[in-house]
Order: sequence, then C-alpha cells, then structure tokens
Amino acid sequence: MAKGRHWVALWLVAFLVTTWLVYARQTAAYRAARELADLRARRANLDGHRADLERRIRAAESRAVLVPRAQARLGLHLPSDSEIVLVPAPSGSR
Amino acid sequence: MARPAVRIQVVEFGVLVGLALLVGRAAQVQILHGRRWAEEAQAQRTERIVLQARRGTLSDRHGTPLAVTQETYHVGIAPNELRDPTADGALLSRRLGLTARTWQQALRRRYAYFAGPYSALEVQPLRSVRGVHLESVLNRFYPDPAVARATIGRLGDDGLGASGLERTLDSLLAGRAGAAVVLKDRAGREYESPARVIAPPVPGLDVVLTLDAELQEIAQRALDDALRRMDADGGDVVMLDPGTGEVLALASRQRDGSARPSAFTDTFEPGSLAKIFAAAALLSLRRVSSTDRVSGEGGKWRVLGRTITDDDPQPSLTLADAIRVSSNIAIAKFAARLTPEEQYVTLRDFGFGAFTGIEFPAEATGRLRPPSEWTRPSAASLAMGYELSVTPIQVAMAYGALANDGLLLQPTLIREVRSAGAAGVRYRHRPEPVRRVVSREVAAALRDLLRGVVERGTGTEAALTNFPVAAKTGTARRVVNGRYAAGEYTASFAALFPADQPQLVLVVKIDNPHKGSYFAAQTAAPVTRSMLEQALAARTVALDRARLSTAAPRAAATPADDDGGMVPYVVPWPYQPDSAGVGPRRAVPDVAGFGMREAVRTLHRRGFRVALRGWGVAEHTWPAAGDSAAAGSMVTLFADPYAAARVRSRGPAPPPRGPRR
Repeated sequence: MAKGRHWVALWLVAFLVTTWLVYARQTAAYRAARELADLRARRANLDGHRADLERRIRAAESRAVLVPRAQARLGLHLPSDSEIVLVPAPSGSR
Repeated sequence: MARPAVRIQVVEFGVLVGLALLVGRAAQVQILHGRRWAEEAQAQRTERIVLQARRGTLSDRHGTPLAVTQETYHVGIAPNELRDPTADGALLSRRLGLTARTWQQALRRRYAYFAGPYSALEVQPLRSVRGVHLESVLNRFYPDPAVARATIGRLGDDGLGASGLERTLDSLLAGRAGAAVVLKDRAGREYESPARVIAPPVPGLDVVLTLDAELQEIAQRALDDALRRMDADGGDVVMLDPGTGEVLALASRQRDGSARPSAFTDTFEPGSLAKIFAAAALLSLRRVSSTDRVSGEGGKWRVLGRTITDDDPQPSLTLADAIRVSSNIAIAKFAARLTPEEQYVTLRDFGFGAFTGIEFPAEATGRLRPPSEWTRPSAASLAMGYELSVTPIQVAMAYGALANDGLLLQPTLIREVRSAGAAGVRYRHRPEPVRRVVSREVAAALRDLLRGVVERGTGTEAALTNFPVAAKTGTARRVVNGRYAAGEYTASFAALFPADQPQLVLVVKIDNPHKGSYFAAQTAAPVTRSMLEQALAARTVALDRARLSTAAPRAAATPADDDGGMVPYVVPWPYQPDSAGVGPRRAVPDVAGFGMREAVRTLHRRGFRVALRGWGVAEHTWPAAGDSAAAGSMVTLFADPYAAARVRSRGPAPPPRGPRR
C-alpha cells in the first residue's frame, strides 16, 4: 500500500515539474517576444531618425539650398571652366 | 416488478451503452473529425499573418538612396481603454495631426482607426499609451522626391511598381512575403510569438542605378531655369557615359510643372542634329572628300518643287563647312550622292526607328520610314533631320556611338543588382555593344566635324575655355496636329565632352521657346555649357578628371595667379602624367573589415578618390571589390560600426595589402 502511495507521489511530482517547465518556457518565450518587439520598435524609431536626418542633410547639401546661400552670404559664384584648374598631385604624395 | 438481478443487468447494460456511445463519439470527434476540430480550435486562438518583404532600395551610382522602404504605422485607438482621455487625446491629436472635431468623433466610436501612414518618429511617444494599437506596415519613400521622379516612377495602391523603374524592376525589388502565426486572446488581441514564423520574408534586391544624383540635380536645375527664362513649353536633358552606355542624368519637364518621362516617350524631328548622320554615311561610303565643295546658292535653293534655305549663306561649302554652319543646302546636295537605301541603313544603324533597349517600361521607337515609302524630297529632308522622328535618348545613344569610336551601345539605367545588406553583387552592368555603326577612323573624323561646330560654327555658345567640346545644334519646326506650326520650333543640342576621348554625351532639347531667340545656338547651347561647368566643379560627378587633365593643356599652361585675382577651384586627384595617356582601369581592392583609416589608405594607394558613407568598420565599396575603375575615379566607401561581425560571418577579412601597380 505504501509502495503505491510512493508511485502516486512520484507521478504527481513529475507532473508538477513538467507543468512548471512548460509554464517557465512559455513565460520566457513571451518575455523574449516582448523584448524583440521593443527592440524592433526601437530600431524602427532609429531608422526613422536616420532617414529624417539623411533627408535633411541632403536637402541642406542640395544645390537649390547651397548655391543661393553661398552667393548671397559669401559672395561666391559657380566657377566658369576657366576658373577650374586641375592640378596634378606630386607623385611623392601617393 | 423485475427482480433486482435483472434491474442491475439493465443498469449495467445502460451504462455500457452509454460508455460505448461516449467512446464512439470521442472516436468520431478525435479520429474522424479530429483534423477539422483541431483546425477550428487553431483558428480561434491563432491567426496567420503575412509578413511583408522589405522592398529593395534604389540608389544612385554613388550609393545615395533614391527610393527606400521604411516601417510606418497605422494607428488604432480603443477609447474605452484610455486611462486619461483628455491628456491622451491632446498627445494623440498632436502626434497624429488630428483636429479637435476629429478627436471628438473618434472618442464616440468603439474603435477609431487612422490609416496614416505615420512614421516611427511620429508614433514613438504613443507606444506607451494604453488603448493605442500600432499596426506596422512597410512603405516606400523617396528621400528627394524631385530627383529623377519620372524615371524612378512610383508604386501603385497594391504596393507593386506602377510606373518607371519601380515597375520595370518590380520582380527584383519586391522580394517574397513571409507568413507567421500569431496567438490571439479571447478579445482578438494578437500576441507576437517568435517561434511561429512559418516562412520568413525574403527582402527584395537592392538596385544601384547608373544615375548620378549630383548630375541629375544639375540637369534638372539647368532645365528648369532654361524653361522659365525662355518661357518654353517643355524640355529634356539626357547625359550619358558613351563608353558604357550608362545614363547619368535624365531630366524632363513640361510647362505645367509635370515631369513625365518624355526623354523616352516623346518624339521630335531632330532637324540639324541629324546632319552628322548623313555625313557619317558619306564618309563611310567615301562619297565625299575633304576638298569637295558645293555651291551655297546664295542661301536659297529650289529643288524638286521645294525651296531650301540657309540662315548663314556661304558661297561654297565643304562637308565640314556644311556641318559647321549647319547648311541645309550643302547637306542636301551632298546627301544626293547617297542612295535611299544607304541613307536609310545608316540612320537605322544609328538606332533610329527602333527601341534602344533601355530598361524603361514605355519607350517610343520614333519613326524612320523605309525607302519604299519615301517621296522625292525625302532624301533631302532626312539629311536635314526632317521626316524622321526620334527620342532624346535615341539621339544621345547615336552621338554616343560617335564618341565611342563608332560602336553603338545599348543604354542602361542599371549599374548593379545586390542582395540586401550588400552581401553580394548579383548583376553588374557591362557595356553591351549593339553594332559597329562606322569605323574608328570615320568616327574620329565626325568628331572633328563636330568640334568645328563649337570652335567656329553654330555651337560657339557652348565652348569652354579650357576643354574642347564637340557638338551640333538643331533647330526644327514643330509639328502640331500633323502640320508644321508657324513660329514654333524645337531647339536641340547634342554635345560630346571633351571632344577627345569623350566622357559625357549631353542632349538638351527645348520645346517651343517663346522668349528671345528660338535658335538652338542661343537657347540649348548655353544650357549645355552651364551644365558642363557645374559638372566640372562638382566633387562627386562621374568624370575621370585624370583623363580630363590631358584634355586641358591650356589650363595647365596658364598659371591661375595670372588671372587678375581670380580664385581657381582646385580639384586634386592622383597624379597621372600626360605622357601616360589614359591609364588602365584598376581593380578596386577588397577593404571589407578594415578600419576606416586603413581602408581609405588602401584605396588611395590604388589611385582612387574616396567618398565616405557612414563610420566604423569598412563594409563594402561602390564600385564593388574586384570591379575595375579608372584611376582617379571616385570610390564610395561604406562603413558601419557593426560591419566587423558581418564581415567575419562572410569569411576572414583579408590582410591589409600594399599598393599594387
């Protein structure tokens, strides 16, 4: 009779351990999924930031913005070809 | 009243029947209909979703993104879940740009949905707000929508390419959507489960276009300025590399501000631009010598019931004179030495009347009638560029053949196709010859004729002080509703820069200029000069400045200090002695995994200029490692702080190399 109760207890413990393992695994998976979602959101946010900054840099670097400002503020002008001199670097600088 | 034993037996039988029914029903549910019930249960607690594939990036030849895919969001709001509707409402209205009325309407609904799409930046503060549900969706963005808009095209509502290169390259860019199963609760809310991805999405391939964003901007601005100044109906600019057939810039604009791709789709009569092709036939077939002269007829010549006139009458003209001053009379007289078949075949060989084969979804062939359909004046008309309709891209490729020593190439807009993440090059463009149109010697002779146009002829407005230019003007009457319209002209200009070993072919077309002169010499030629000057002064434009140095002897000989205090724009590049001529193309070294400093040094040692994109560890270059590029040309180096890990995963980084010459 006592031997039978031991078996029941053993099965009960095995059942509880298995259940706990399943529960722990599921909890860890959900936690990982949440972290993954958070990371994805952060990455999307950073991507958005980067794209926005790149767009603003390109707009600021564009000729439509730079040329009028350079002309108005610094008195520069687009060089004519006679003002463009291609100077070969000395061979020692390589 | 039955005996107890009998009653017990009846009860036992009843229990047995009940159990049998139970077992039978269980077997029916589990075995016979098990699959259906399992699917139903699955459907109640899971949902299969489509994982969008990231569409590939379109970038210019230096890696500047022209079309990118970014994650955006639709926003759903459950008003009954909001903790503080007043405060949350203020935040939501501000971030989503909602009016007070819209927000009040949203509060009255059970679930309000705002499609947006909203950027990650816009929705970031909303992530922690209870009752706000974000649905991510990939969307296409064009960082600078004005750049090459018509060429790049757009996506349709179905997310597929609807026009332009987005349409042509759709199968490459689209990728393959994936699928995943997400868990959902009783209320239908989804829970993300990373273990339930059935098929991961396969991102589309990245495509590097041949376009040069800076040249494109130069072309667009020059065209816009010209159209505004001349009050013209529209215009086109095409720039391409004659050695490879790569289109570097394509600008089209109409009076109403629209930018349909008319460089591919709209035809025009080229007028005097086509005279050089009659000259090509005459020289190839040896029907004319350099000393042959024809009479200028005092500027007016009546032939076959038709009067041909010249704007700049000459007593007598050689073929060179005919091209230089763009004489209709002389070219018509010279062309009479050709048979219709010879004239037709030459024009056909230059690509007129046929598709160029460029990767654009809509391209016009133009019109070149076979000799059987010609009338008596057709030969003279074709020599002068009438009875022939062409597209600007066809003209550019035909002039490109002259620049390319007589070899006609197929034009292209695609430079490379890469796997996402720059892991590998799937396709790299190589020049694709169509046919040899004229011999190398004839091509050189034709370039000399075109050089005369800029030095002493109708194209002097395009002349540069230090660099020789070869070009041809064309001013043709416009056809409106099938008839030549009085006072309406198309001014066009085709140029090779520099005249020796050309690196750029430019075609400028101005439709119906109203203000000032309508002649190409005064309209399209100055626009060409302006664009060339800007291209020379630009840092990253795809010009081989080492080769240009040999083409600019006057610049080298004249010290800049002698020029009245003029401040020169100095462009350095690796030394290339003039005696060496055009240096051989060199292989771009593999610098993946190198530190930035070492990577730049390695590229400099190989004789390349370097443009940096990003920081950290070198990831890849454009042109890619192993590709050949001219010494002195620009190599774009892409770096990423996390590149080292990716490079390691692809294989060991190569040791730093010394210079190889």
